[in-house]
Amino acid sequence: MTAGAAASGPLSREQAEALLFEEAARLDDRDLHGWLELFTDDAIYWLPMGIEDPDREPSLILDDRSRMEERVFRLLDTAAHAQTPPSRTQHDITNVRVVNVELDRAQVTCHLVVHEVRIGDPSQVGMAQARSLPGRCEYELRRGGDGRWRIARKVVRLLTRELPQYNLTFIV
Amino acid sequence: MRAAPTPDPSIDVAGLVIDEPHRFRVDGRVHTDAHLFSLEMQRIWERSWLYVGHESEIRQPGDYRTTVLGRQPIILSRGEDGSIRAMFNRCMHRGAVVCRAERGHANHFRCPYHNWVYRNDGTLVGMAQKSGYGDSFDTSEMNLVAVPRLEVYRGLIFACLDPEVIPLRDRLGPTAWYIDQWADRSPVGRIAVTEGVHRYQYPGNWKFQLENGVDGYHGNYVHESFVKILNRSGDRKQQEVVRTRNRVGSNNCAKGLPHGDGLLEREDGMLGTFDYASLDDYRQALVETHGQDRLADILTQRNILIFPNVYLFESHIRVMRPISPTSTLVDTIPTWIEGIDDALNTRRLREHERFFGPSSFGATDDIEIFVLNQTGVQAEAARWLDFSRGLARERVGKHGERIGHSTDETPQRAMYREWQRRMLVGEEMAS
Repeated sequence: MTAGAAASGPLSREQAEALLFEEAARLDDRDLHGWLELFTDDAIYWLPMGIEDPDREPSLILDDRSRMEERVFRLLDTAAHAQTPPSRTQHDITNVRVVNVELDRAQVTCHLVVHEVRIGDPSQVGMAQARSLPGRCEYELRRGGDGRWRIARKVVRLLTRELPQYNLTFIV
Repeated sequence: MRAAPTPDPSIDVAGLVIDEPHRFRVDGRVHTDAHLFSLEMQRIWERSWLYVGHESEIRQPGDYRTTVLGRQPIILSRGEDGSIRAMFNRCMHRGAVVCRAERGHANHFRCPYHNWVYRNDGTLVGMAQKSGYGDSFDTSEMNLVAVPRLEVYRGLIFACLDPEVIPLRDRLGPTAWYIDQWADRSPVGRIAVTEGVHRYQYPGNWKFQLENGVDGYHGNYVHESFVKILNRSGDRKQQEVVRTRNRVGSNNCAKGLPHGDGLLEREDGMLGTFDYASLDDYRQALVETHGQDRLADILTQRNILIFPNVYLFESHIRVMRPISPTSTLVDTIPTWIEGIDDALNTRRLREHERFFGPSSFGATDDIEIFVLNQTGVQAEAARWLDFSRGLARERVGKHGERIGHSTDETPQRAMYREWQRRMLVGEEMAS
């Protein structure tokens, strides 16, 4: 099944998986404009820390659609030193569950492990060190007028969300 | 007076900073050498006033938080009498920490090992099976050990391991005026901090972060990515940013203060995408409390370094914790301006995340540079780091501070002059 393909009826787990796997593939292929296309125009991409009161407490990331577009612009069109060279990533998705489903809306949860490495001279500090970032995700999906399911909200609770971070400049 | 630690005879500390009329150089080994690192800990970190926390983190009697003073674990606590105390987080019996949670509220701290119980002011009030100690065992000597010195300035809590250190206010000297301007960005004169902390750990020396926060020379290059983002979003034009950064003007300067403190001051900040001076209600609130004549001073954008462990930025307090010569923990703690609309504080928080967060479009590029620095200084044969920029044009102000253009390395020189003095002498000097 094509990800987000128009289909009638409530969202099945197979459809949810197809969409999440497609998102992972676009991120890992660095097709970041394609990644944005999977989201609604009012989408939120949120990595909370320990206290989930984003109006009063800091988040690791709290992107609305326009900041998501800034993030993609920064990664693809600017000389961002923290991504020079860029991260090579692999997003592994498991434990997919459709937890709440209406005709045109669904909540989906899954587990995520992002494996990340920057390829370069291993004698240089910070290079050629593979890392793995585990987390749990909550997705809110919406079906648009064209029949396609899109991501309206992506929340990633990293296992290490309150811990010191180092170069979290790729998209998880 | 305590005995000074014995220097390693193989390293000539006096030769690590070369301060000449037209050239200022620092030996790259200050970022790599393990012996110099332990000397820094003894002579600078164990004898300096260090920022340890903010009053707003322990607002109510019984509130506490744990942290470190240099590398020693402490508890900051507000007692029933409302006063702030700092004590070592170490049971007087066999040395276990008595407080495991980073923050909380408690009347007592209980050691999990043998159930010794201390009041939140450190007084020992209970021991399991006490009869085993006999009548002559003096429990009054078994209270948690108080941190030798603790003082608060404008909500900022500082502590020091050296009981003979000069008073905090004397140590701050002219820096206190700048802290006042920072705190008075609140119309009620109070800045609070969020409970959440953006925490980084980078594989590099702590002084790279100190050098960078008052460095006005790197912005157009390290942050070219962010400047392009501002340009794209329409928040600020790229040419305008570059032109403003390069402008020579009285409020566009870098300063080196006594005790290694430093400042980067800019009339038109590049980091915020909203201009505080244009917020009429906010300006009016500031004028009502602080007066029209102080408005320009309060609204000048500043990064303030208080040597050796804390920066005050408009959006946050930044605390450096050295872990080893090549590893540093940095806490950036967003601030909450009291007495203004919550909505404006929330906007400040979003902009903070945009430039300073762990996934931000700004600070992450600075940290990448520290990592390049750390790799590069392993070339010890090349030896010198150069901090000469602006030596020929800086001037001396009325408090003895040196004032350079905002892109000059004036504050870094002040920092390394103090670093070297302290490495040789150890003590904080009186103002």
